[in-house]
Amino acid sequence: MKFFIDDLPVLFPYPRIYPEQYAYMCDLKKTLDVGGHCVLEMPSGTGKTVSLLSLIVAYQQHYPEHRKLIYCSRTMSEIEKALAELKALMEHRAKELGHEEEFRALGLTSRKNLCLHPSVKREKSGTVVDARCRSLTAGFVKEKKERGEDVELCVYHENLDLLEPHNLVPPGVFTLDGLSRYGEEHKQCPYFSARRMMPWCNIIIYSYHYLLDPKIAERVSRELSKDCIVVFDEAHNIDNVCIESLSIDLSEDSLRKATRGANNLERRIEDMKSTDEEKLKNEYSKLVEGLQEAEKARDEDQFISNPVLPDDLLKEAVPGNIRRAEHFISFLKRFIEYLKTRMKVTHTISETPPSFLTHLKDLTYIERKPLRFCAERLTSLVRTLELVNIEDYQPLQEVATFATLVATYDKGFVLILEPFESEAATVPNPILHFTCLDAAIAIKPVFDRFSSVIITSGTLSPLEMYPKMLGFTAVLQESYSMTLARRSFLPMIVTRGSDQAQVSSSFGIRNDPGVVRNYGSLVTEFARITPDGVVVFFPSYLYMESIISMWQGMGILDQIWNYKLILVETPDAQESSLALETYRTACCNGRGAILFCVARGKVSEGIDFDHHYGRAVLCIGVPFQYTESRILKARLEFLRENYRIRENDFLSFDAIRHAAQCLGRVLRGKDDYGVMVLADRRFERKRPQLPKWINQAMLDSETNLSTDMAVSNAKNFLRTMAQPFKSKDQEGISTWGLADIERHEAKRRTEEERMMREELNNGHAMDGMVPSASRIVTDEYDDNIDQDLMMLDAP
Amino acid sequence: MASNAASRRDEDEVCPVCKSSRYLNPDMRFLINPECYHKMCESCVDRIFSSGPANCPVAGCRKTLRKNRFRKQTFEDIGVEREVDIRRRVMHILNRREEEFDSKRAYDDFLEQREDIIANLVSRIDVAKTEAQLQKYAADNMQSIRANQAIEAEEASSFQARMSLEQEEARLRRQAVRQEYETERREIQAGREDFLTRLASGSSTDAAAIAREGHKVLLKKSSARRSEEERIRQKQAALRLDNKRVSNLSTVEQAGAADTGLVKGLRKIKTPEPEKPYDPFMGYVPEKRDYYSLQSYYPSQYLDPIRNDARMLAGGYDLREYYSRTLLEAFAGLSCFVGEEISQRDAANTSKSTATEGASMAVEGGENTA
Repeated sequence: MKFFIDDLPVLFPYPRIYPEQYAYMCDLKKTLDVGGHCVLEMPSGTGKTVSLLSLIVAYQQHYPEHRKLIYCSRTMSEIEKALAELKALMEHRAKELGHEEEFRALGLTSRKNLCLHPSVKREKSGTVVDARCRSLTAGFVKEKKERGEDVELCVYHENLDLLEPHNLVPPGVFTLDGLSRYGEEHKQCPYFSARRMMPWCNIIIYSYHYLLDPKIAERVSRELSKDCIVVFDEAHNIDNVCIESLSIDLSEDSLRKATRGANNLERRIEDMKSTDEEKLKNEYSKLVEGLQEAEKARDEDQFISNPVLPDDLLKEAVPGNIRRAEHFISFLKRFIEYLKTRMKVTHTISETPPSFLTHLKDLTYIERKPLRFCAERLTSLVRTLELVNIEDYQPLQEVATFATLVATYDKGFVLILEPFESEAATVPNPILHFTCLDAAIAIKPVFDRFSSVIITSGTLSPLEMYPKMLGFTAVLQESYSMTLARRSFLPMIVTRGSDQAQVSSSFGIRNDPGVVRNYGSLVTEFARITPDGVVVFFPSYLYMESIISMWQGMGILDQIWNYKLILVETPDAQESSLALETYRTACCNGRGAILFCVARGKVSEGIDFDHHYGRAVLCIGVPFQYTESRILKARLEFLRENYRIRENDFLSFDAIRHAAQCLGRVLRGKDDYGVMVLADRRFERKRPQLPKWINQAMLDSETNLSTDMAVSNAKNFLRTMAQPFKSKDQEGISTWGLADIERHEAKRRTEEERMMREELNNGHAMDGMVPSASRIVTDEYDDNIDQDLMMLDAP
Repeated sequence: MASNAASRRDEDEVCPVCKSSRYLNPDMRFLINPECYHKMCESCVDRIFSSGPANCPVAGCRKTLRKNRFRKQTFEDIGVEREVDIRRRVMHILNRREEEFDSKRAYDDFLEQREDIIANLVSRIDVAKTEAQLQKYAADNMQSIRANQAIEAEEASSFQARMSLEQEEARLRRQAVRQEYETERREIQAGREDFLTRLASGSSTDAAAIAREGHKVLLKKSSARRSEEERIRQKQAALRLDNKRVSNLSTVEQAGAADTGLVKGLRKIKTPEPEKPYDPFMGYVPEKRDYYSLQSYYPSQYLDPIRNDARMLAGGYDLREYYSRTLLEAFAGLSCFVGEEISQRDAANTSKSTATEGASMAVEGGENTA
């Protein structure tokens, strides 16, 4: 299908388009034209990716600037899906236009997923693959080979040097699989092909980390130009990704390993001194001159890059007291020993980086400045020593990263030392958390550098929270509703059990037998009436375990057993995937199954329960975070002091976005249908915070139901859904053909003209002002306080 | 609590002197002496060294130890412990600061030199020579060492003060937020109750009106509260700024010393010239009357009617004031030769030789700001 948005011809690979897709594209184009960042919330399963890609590809091809697209997604499978979607789109374009466009799109993922080397690719762990790959491809290894020494090289990597550097792969769209296959055919390394081809690609698809984590971004994404369009898809968790990319945990074990690493390094330095002192001298003189290693042309084999963001990078010479290799080693050892002594405490400590640094100085005379250069100095040393088995130095690298970060940032970080893993534990297992509190720190360079950043997901409500937390101004914030020809999903809030007693997972009453029984009967009833799969989400593993054991005692599980197979998600990934597989089998063969999982677990994030895999989703309790955690407390305080976000606002925002994410799991398209139940008294107040598309579909009469009413509603709904429904019925309402788009455009135009005329007639824009003002007033009233929140959840 | 932490690590830790293990004596604590860094348990220390100095009981170590020098070990690694002790001593003597050096390079060289000295002492290379160097340096630079120590101490204490101030502020803010939250909740509750009672007492027709009113009152309250909060916050921010200014004032002055043999690249210390008294007219003396002398009477037709006008005199008008001002204005520019001054200024700009005092001050000021 081909249509125009303003003057831009868009080729859409399907014969029909959803109205919200069209609106999404219009807004996207507006943002790109204006330049600036935007936040767009689009219901899950309405073809967000394809509309995004088809608009941006059209934009790239139509305008002469050919702005590059960087599309970031969360998981491998999502990246692969996007690439497949793009491939189909480009095929469609070629067919429509009658010629192949000069176009290159590549996906990038870790070495582990792309490696072709016969022995390296058999390694299980990603870090081992990285390390072994480096040992086969590093620049100095090649030099050694040229000198005639007997070292092993990777053939796939070597073959790349024989090709033209800007034409390693032919134009076209390569999925990750496709790239691997191409690499296998032509005996070239897919990972390095992708890395080196990035400057010549029109579209790059990779994971968030390649852009947000300063350790990776500096290496991978440095050369991207300023006018790139950056898209963060599935971005509802982006603040956590930002925070994680700058946080480090150190345990006693890793410190021990770091010491071992330091000792190894010392030995290597001694060796080198006796055999090849020239190299150490060279490095030393380079550091004295303050030369920022100018070559860096082949920094693919760099060991660690600086964890500090490019803006905060010091462009100075390395301080004198760590210039010599042996001085630096003793410096590192002292620092590690200091950390070890800190680990010996028996109570929790939380302190700011400045106070940590003062204490460090008092005890070991380590000053701030050399500490800042730790990571850089270690990189340089490792390169000089030409170390091959780099994975041994991982813990040492972590310590160096920690040192650099703690000496660089004063604000927005906190050090928390927890001697015990949990409250009840008696055996100490100290962990030093160095936590970033400010999501804006990591993402700021992205916003500063690129002119258009698009943040989009199925659940971003409330939209104004993201600009606040990430520290940017959005030119456009929009949430789209879902146009439906029939009501294909039924969101309900259950606040009471059949006995009219209120249900809630709040800490005070969650273990009340009455509440547990009411939850149990709710689950039983839905297991009874729903065909195929049912998914139940709990706020935490702990609560899930306790409630399931109580249900066992009450005989509720036996009742559920009559209707459905019961499967449970566990923290162990393999167990969970087995459970999931069984679940799918049971749904396919008609036995039906019920899956108990956790709202913040793996299942809630990446796994779709489309069609018969999920006909009902129950959210038992509001999935608040564990509020007793020190890290969360520190973050809440930080948000309050710096961004004026109240603790309760943030907690409830976070809980609701996870709940919405869970609900979105069952609805993966317009032909899909499902029941969504939010079972907690507290959801009733939080309804305005739900995404617009869920909120609009919820009738006022369905926000305060008891179990039996909810069940009869659901029964009716499922019966309606079982009626035959032809796709023809949707046309013009929830799917548009070309004619519908034109009709819509014409209508919009006449509407605009009418508005214009009206405004002219009135002389003032007063009419437009009044309703918006009144809306603000009601909004303000909406955020009244939630007393329940003060009864903070604990496990 | 530290012993508790230690006990879990090494259940079978044995004192190298008396061979008693932690299994038998769970409260065993180990001490070291910075003389030789041999580890032994507390009871051994009591036993051997209570009656005065004695030799170290470890075989092959003939150091004489005293009981009062025994202390607990800070670091797990004895090597690091010893290095830190040495470092403490060296850093105490070689405590030059970055601002005392000509360039960053010189400072870095100094840092490296210090590191070398420490490494020598740690690995026992040229100990005697290095020690002698250190002693000489310490004797020669007593004054600067003292001064730098004072600066460091002051920095540390000001940092402490700042930290505690910040903590206090954070506590206050937290308290304020809690209070604010409480009042807000109470108000809402009160508003609701009020609203309910009014609904109960009113007739059924104006229920909607009452409801609307209730909303409005609540809104007004919340917006009022918000502006109040805003005000308080601004006030706090202003306070904080003030505090910062105060703490900035207490920065320390720089002390100087002569160049020494050991440390190179030190900046030449200039004693700042004593400040001259402030001169608002930059050398011009308004009282100086070179060209005229003030008289008590000047004939003037224009002034005659005023001289004896009661209306004027009643207000305190004094004609002498008028004379002095007029004459000053008339002769004010006579000794200034603008052309000359401009040429002088140009000359000063090019050659930096300053002719007049005013010009020199201006030039110096310019240099300072530049």
